[in-house]
Amino acid sequence: MIGLSHYLVLSGVLFSIAVAGIFLNRKNVIVLLMCIELMLLAVNTNFIAFSAFLHDLSGQVFVFFILTVAAAEAAIGLAILVVLFRNRASINVEDMGDMKG
Amino acid sequence: MTELWNSIPAWLQYAVLIAPLMVTLTIVVAMYTLAERRVIGAMQTRIGPNRVGPFGLFQPFADVFKLFFKEVLIPTQANRVLFLIAPLLALVPAFAAWAVLPFDAGVVLADVNAGLLYILALTSMTVYGVIIAGWASNSKYALLGAMRSAAQIVAYEIAMGFALVGVLMAAGSLNLGAIVDAQVGPFWHWYWLPLLPMFLIYFISGVAETNRAPFDVAEGESEIVAGFHVEYSGATFAAFFLAEYMNMILISFLAALLFLGGWHPLAFGIDAVDEVLALVPGTLWLFAKAGFFMFCFLWFRATFPRYRYDQIMRLGWKVFIPITIVWIFVEGFLIYMGWGPWWQ
Amino acid sequence: MSVESVLFYLFGTILVASALGVITARNPVHGVLLLVLAFFTAAVLWLLLQAEFLAIVLVLVYVGAVMVLFLFVVMMLDVNVARIREGYAKYLPLGIVIALVMAAQIVIVVGAQAFGLEFFPRPEALPADHSNTRALGLLLYTHYVYPFELAAVILLVAIVAAITLTLRHREGTRTQDVSRQVRVKRADRVRLVKMDSDKGEQP
Repeated sequence: MIGLSHYLVLSGVLFSIAVAGIFLNRKNVIVLLMCIELMLLAVNTNFIAFSAFLHDLSGQVFVFFILTVAAAEAAIGLAILVVLFRNRASINVEDMGDMKG
Repeated sequence: MTELWNSIPAWLQYAVLIAPLMVTLTIVVAMYTLAERRVIGAMQTRIGPNRVGPFGLFQPFADVFKLFFKEVLIPTQANRVLFLIAPLLALVPAFAAWAVLPFDAGVVLADVNAGLLYILALTSMTVYGVIIAGWASNSKYALLGAMRSAAQIVAYEIAMGFALVGVLMAAGSLNLGAIVDAQVGPFWHWYWLPLLPMFLIYFISGVAETNRAPFDVAEGESEIVAGFHVEYSGATFAAFFLAEYMNMILISFLAALLFLGGWHPLAFGIDAVDEVLALVPGTLWLFAKAGFFMFCFLWFRATFPRYRYDQIMRLGWKVFIPITIVWIFVEGFLIYMGWGPWWQ
Repeated sequence: MSVESVLFYLFGTILVASALGVITARNPVHGVLLLVLAFFTAAVLWLLLQAEFLAIVLVLVYVGAVMVLFLFVVMMLDVNVARIREGYAKYLPLGIVIALVMAAQIVIVVGAQAFGLEFFPRPEALPADHSNTRALGLLLYTHYVYPFELAAVILLVAIVAAITLTLRHREGTRTQDVSRQVRVKRADRVRLVKMDSDKGEQP
């Protein structure tokens, strides 16, 4: 039988994969954004699993808000990415260190 | 008979029900392609295909055989896996959406609570087939067509979603059967009248979502040859073709269910007339109403010149979305006031 | 094994595999498509947890809109893949070690000994006429109405921000101004010239 721990472990593994992705693709802004989406997905799965097993819909309401904020984040992130690419012709993180003292 | 039916496992029951639906749909699509060529022919005072079989009825089958015996060409620089997955990605959501569509009271494969949401989610998936096809072909024209299509579908999906929000506000349910039953009564009780702006926007957005004329810039054969499926041939092309027509029929059925009272017979509020009209089975009414919209698709194609791309985007973002938002507020006010005959 | 276990392990495996694909994909377009697959399988898992509204919304919003945006941007940008992947091999061992340590810690904390079935029994199946959408809506429009409105404001800000960031007026493009087209009068376009017919220039 599938219990709460199964879902929690699955989303834990997903989260760790996303963290590894941030380490591996530290130059690529697009993959960094995608890894953040993966993390949010893992967190949302956690919320929904808890909501189902604790019989409390509040967890699902929380997921609803996370989805909203994540969609806004993705839209603005991509807009920034497009502007950066337009000005620098690159999405490499190393090319964006102008503010470094 | 019922015992025999109940004795077989649930998944087999579904398989038995799904197979005839899919076959029927495919045949309807085939006939629809023939109807398109005949209807547009008549509108342009031509004859159209009439050689194969009586009235050209076997023409679509001849076309299908021709397409399936042709070679599936894959461009050398194309991404092979994605190139072959794309037609499937276009086809699967087009078929899957029919699962929640009722054909008469209670005649539905899956009577789910959130049927309308499910259909919205699946129609939003159709864009992937187009984008992946355009990108995997590794061709400028295909990529241009895919980009146009992606922006267009996303834009009109919002207007379509808002129009459907209007419907679910009026019906108070996301279940398609419940929405149809909320429209029972004479024809002015159907939602086309109280939700007239939503109805028009829904259908026009549906035309834009399916990339049909006059919004067919994704194909635009006079500017970008054939858009996203320029590199496709044979069976893979047939899959795109099938998906497009399947989506057109789906939009027509949805419009009939959501705005024209679905399977409820046409009624004028005069008992003598209504009783006669009610003798016709509900499924036939549904098909007649959907058939009207299917005819409109062809009519548009024969009549309207193609929109320019920036005009399409302007229409979607700056005209349709504001109108739907305003009408949602108007509708909320009407429901709050409880003004009849629609919002008791 | 019950049907639910089969479904959980099947889709859980697909989810993990596609997530691994996202972080290792050489081509960003493949990465985005694998992320779409990950979202889709996650939606199936949410359906298993009887959260039908959010599962469908995940497909509708993420797969249908946000990921299309990602795909759009990735396809339009001409990314130099070779340069962007420098340092991938260098950080591979570190990344794997950190991910493994993290996963191990999480598993130790949330494993079956603390969150197993004996502590959290399976939720009983909801009745067929239970509407997850309705239940969520009732909660959202009563108890959480202020956060809900805040979320709407956040979305509005995001729309404005995304448009102002990317909007640019390029010189030399001829865009259509509909209101100017509508406002135009006959006098603006037509000029009647009086001239004698026989005194015109001869060709």
